Amino acid sequence: MRRREFIKKTGMATAAAFAVPYLLPSGRLFAKTGGLMAKHVIYVMFAGGVRQQESVLQRYLDDSQNLPYGGNIMNNMLNGAAPNQKIVYGTGAGGLSPIPAILSQSLQSQGTLFPEVRSGSAGHYTGLNELLQGSSALTQGLKQKPVNPTIFEYLRRHSGLPASKVWFVGNGINGSIPLLNYSEHSNYGPTYGANFFAPLVTFSDKGKKYFADAKVYHPQEQLAPMYEMKYFLDNSFTNAGKPIPNLGNTEAEKQDIKLFMKSMFAKTDAGTIAMPPISDNGDAMNIGYACELMQWFKPAFTVVNLGGVDACHSNFTKYLSALHRADHAVGHLWNYIQTQIPEMAGNTIIMASPECGRNLKPNGIKDLNNWYAYDHSDPNALRIFTLMAGSGVQSNLLVGSESNPKGLSTDNVLTIADIFGIKNDVLGAGLVNGNSMSLFDRI
Amino acid sequence: MPILNKKTALLFLPLVLFCMLFCHCKKDVERIYEVNNIDLLPPNTIKNKNKTNEQYVSILYANLFQKALSANQLFEISQCLQSKGDQVLAREVLISNLMNKKNVIIPTDSVMRLDIDKFITETYIRFLVRRPTEAEKTYFRNYVKSNANVTPELIYFSFALSDEYMFY
Repeated sequence: MRRREFIKKTGMATAAAFAVPYLLPSGRLFAKTGGLMAKHVIYVMFAGGVRQQESVLQRYLDDSQNLPYGGNIMNNMLNGAAPNQKIVYGTGAGGLSPIPAILSQSLQSQGTLFPEVRSGSAGHYTGLNELLQGSSALTQGLKQKPVNPTIFEYLRRHSGLPASKVWFVGNGINGSIPLLNYSEHSNYGPTYGANFFAPLVTFSDKGKKYFADAKVYHPQEQLAPMYEMKYFLDNSFTNAGKPIPNLGNTEAEKQDIKLFMKSMFAKTDAGTIAMPPISDNGDAMNIGYACELMQWFKPAFTVVNLGGVDACHSNFTKYLSALHRADHAVGHLWNYIQTQIPEMAGNTIIMASPECGRNLKPNGIKDLNNWYAYDHSDPNALRIFTLMAGSGVQSNLLVGSESNPKGLSTDNVLTIADIFGIKNDVLGAGLVNGNSMSLFDRI
Repeated sequence: MPILNKKTALLFLPLVLFCMLFCHCKKDVERIYEVNNIDLLPPNTIKNKNKTNEQYVSILYANLFQKALSANQLFEISQCLQSKGDQVLAREVLISNLMNKKNVIIPTDSVMRLDIDKFITETYIRFLVRRPTEAEKTYFRNYVKSNANVTPELIYFSFALSDEYMFY
């Protein structure tokens, strides 16, 4: 062999050895392509259709009811003075007392705000799918699992995260929410899916009736032979139908989840769930369970969905109240992580985006204050914001403005992938919106 | 006078020749009957439709309690199952809850050990709606005999959690 040929072949072989995939101890197939920006990410799908005018634009009643009263009702997430008249969103009779801010510094000043982002959809389920898939979910059915991989699957597949480190906390089981924890994509799917709880159902009275009284079996003497017999039966069964979805929780992880459930039922009974100071609606209670879940599992990635704001279809006052509480709940969540979970404090990033906005014009329904309600179907409903704060996120930064939109709702998937160092893997899969970018690249 | 004249005989000649050529005795064809090759599958392969949560729950309840579940309970349990991502785990927790109820109908350990084959056959029929194969019967017979910790409750649990039970 000639010298030049030898060097060429040796070089190619070395390059191939680096390029060919190999199994890492964590079980992942490929090495990560980047470094970690934070060990944990909390992703809040914020609140169920938030109108720009009452959120980042802080126009309160000015832009919706033709009443000249502006102000910020999201005092934990955004900078800005609260309205000084016509207060209806607080606590007490008539909602006259706004809930004091939990955070001494708003998330906006702690982090980066993209105040004018475009969602690809004016609907809830498609909007949620875009936030989780990073692709324009135009062919997404409403009662169908995500057609393209979700960020849960990207993370589990490309970062090698175990099932109990990736969670989705839903605000209920309606609106196809339980379908969102993994896609039906053939290269990803349930094997890489997230664990899911809808705590307000799981730990409700009916959940207690059917889940709380679980018999405690001895792991070695009783559960081990039970599983052994089950595996014998499974091996004897030739499945000619659809495979049974399996999230890949190990027996140890399953046992841990069962213990968590036991603990939650006990804490619910004792009234000691880590609820926000004001927890008089579903979103606030959901956040309380999300805090408990993070305290227990210390997940690498948690998605929390809130939806109370959707009351705006028929009750504008209730919408304002729910928006104020959703902000309060997010403030509590961030404060809880920083003060009660030392393993996550200082190395967590929080992101929040509404799945869609709301219309410019009202729908004609009036509430008890004689205020008009708003649906979500017009171009104004495509206007959303994205807020992120925490480890490594630039503080006090505003990117874009009402007249200069920056960012897409589908950017969030690449941003989270960027944080976990798998952005190139996600891009390589070729399934995210071609116009999407990591928000860090948009800054 | 001849019966046929020469002209008439010539007319019949082709017919006679045709009959001689084609209407004669034939040798019997020896037929060989064989069986086509087919893949033999276990008796449970006909179950290829996933049970819905509602179907699973109502059948499970009937199997354990020998009575029907009320519509209200069925709705509630289905909602609880939907509220958990890991469906196998959710079912496991549900079964262990139902096992804790007083009126669950399970044979005693002594009844099972008195006639293991009968118990196994009845369990297969109750949960999987079929008879066990000899191999399956042998496995369970040996397993029960060699494991003092194996109770009818654990066997019911394993059947209710098995993949085959998820299909019909």
